Amino acid sequence: MQEVKIRIRRSEPAVSNEVRYQEFTVPVGEGMVVLDAVHYIQNNIDPTLSVRWNCKAARCGSCSAEIDGMPKLMCKTRMDTLGKEITINPIKAYPVVKDLVTDVSHNYEIAKKIPPFTPKEGLKEPWTMMQIDVTRSKEFRTCIECFLCQDVCHVIREHQSNYFGPKHVVKIAALDLHPLDSIDRSELLHHDGGLGYCDITKCCQNVCPEEIRITDNAIIPEKERIVDHAYDPIGLLIKKVKRRKW
Amino acid sequence: MEKNMDKSLTWFPPEFKELNWRLWSFAIILILSAGALILYPVSQFEGYVDPFYSPTVAVIPLIALFRLSCYAYRKDYYRHVFRHPIACLDGIRFDDNRKGYSGEMTFFSLQNFHRYFLYIAIVILPFFYYDIYVSMTYISGEFIFRLGTIILIANALLLTLWTFSCHAFRHLTGGHTDCYSCKTAGGAKKKFYNGQSYLNRYHEQFAFISLIVVLAVDLYIRALIVGWPIDFTLLKFAI
Repeated sequence: MQEVKIRIRRSEPAVSNEVRYQEFTVPVGEGMVVLDAVHYIQNNIDPTLSVRWNCKAARCGSCSAEIDGMPKLMCKTRMDTLGKEITINPIKAYPVVKDLVTDVSHNYEIAKKIPPFTPKEGLKEPWTMMQIDVTRSKEFRTCIECFLCQDVCHVIREHQSNYFGPKHVVKIAALDLHPLDSIDRSELLHHDGGLGYCDITKCCQNVCPEEIRITDNAIIPEKERIVDHAYDPIGLLIKKVKRRKW
Repeated sequence: MEKNMDKSLTWFPPEFKELNWRLWSFAIILILSAGALILYPVSQFEGYVDPFYSPTVAVIPLIALFRLSCYAYRKDYYRHVFRHPIACLDGIRFDDNRKGYSGEMTFFSLQNFHRYFLYIAIVILPFFYYDIYVSMTYISGEFIFRLGTIILIANALLLTLWTFSCHAFRHLTGGHTDCYSCKTAGGAKKKFYNGQSYLNRYHEQFAFISLIVVLAVDLYIRALIVGWPIDFTLLKFAI
């Protein structure tokens, strides 16, 4: 059986400031993913290694990590796609709890700021929606909240700002594009959400395990909606004329 | 200590790991074109109008602003000029919190006027098709179809694809709508949006290839001027 060397970043900030990389040698079988290798280490070499995981089927978004520097789901990364020496880091945008486990609770604070689905006034039940109206927001509903896009986003990772981050823009776009929703959240994104900090370098789109076209389908459309109400005088004038009752 | 451990990732130039040759070739094209336009201006030759002069050389700054504010080019120069970040991979990102960063909040909020440059580009676009017509009918009483005309057609088509695959165009024609079924001809509107979204997937490629072809047309005309016998006539008859 082939063997692979895995270096894992070990730390536990609550106990000590020490950060070290520990190397493990793991036998690799057919079809094995990185999470299998981490489980092998836990079960056979070092049971103190911490990792957050749940479904092992790329559905729960728990096992996010940086594998050879690239944010990925450990359960979706096959060992045979990597080299003979692998480095695993926790996602660096968030504080480490222990080893590969990070504290992503900041995202839940941001989520509280986003107004929930608010139906249009006077809708008669049962609510009906046409297929052509829901296909766009459906893409965003495949988000598994793994926070890989948040991790790779340089605005969150390297710069301090109020930018909500790609994951939350996806959430907002899903609500904004809903045919029965009555709120335009792009104003919130413009002011409190700091969408202007995003410079559309598309790293979020590159790492999304659900292959959501985050930049093209969520961020840029929201940026364009901001242009509609904040930067486009001709567009605003046309809207005003259209709304006016002659 | 952490930084030292990550050194294994930094020895390889990021451009080769996350390929982005577009920006550098864009810079070279820009320098070459500016040099050629200033030192050896060529507006037309034997019915071929140089794309830089279509309809007039005065629109170049506006087209340049359309290109510069295009989401595809923005990605390229934010990454490779400002390095925010140069790559997505840890260890070769070259971005950190010591570097000032304001994104598109201050000066670069001007990018939000991209749609106005789009309007100008749409107005200019038909001139490239007129140039195709001119290249075929520049001799009075004759119709002539040459290799150069095919290149002009490719140029016009690519510029059209690039312009209409634009994200701002996508927003203006269907992206701003949440409920298509509530609108008149909503189904057709959604179909148009879907088609435009398909083109939009290749916007970055169109942005770059269209630029290369503009330069290729310019170089082709220059080659003809210096006497290269490459302009084959494919069809010629009296009208």
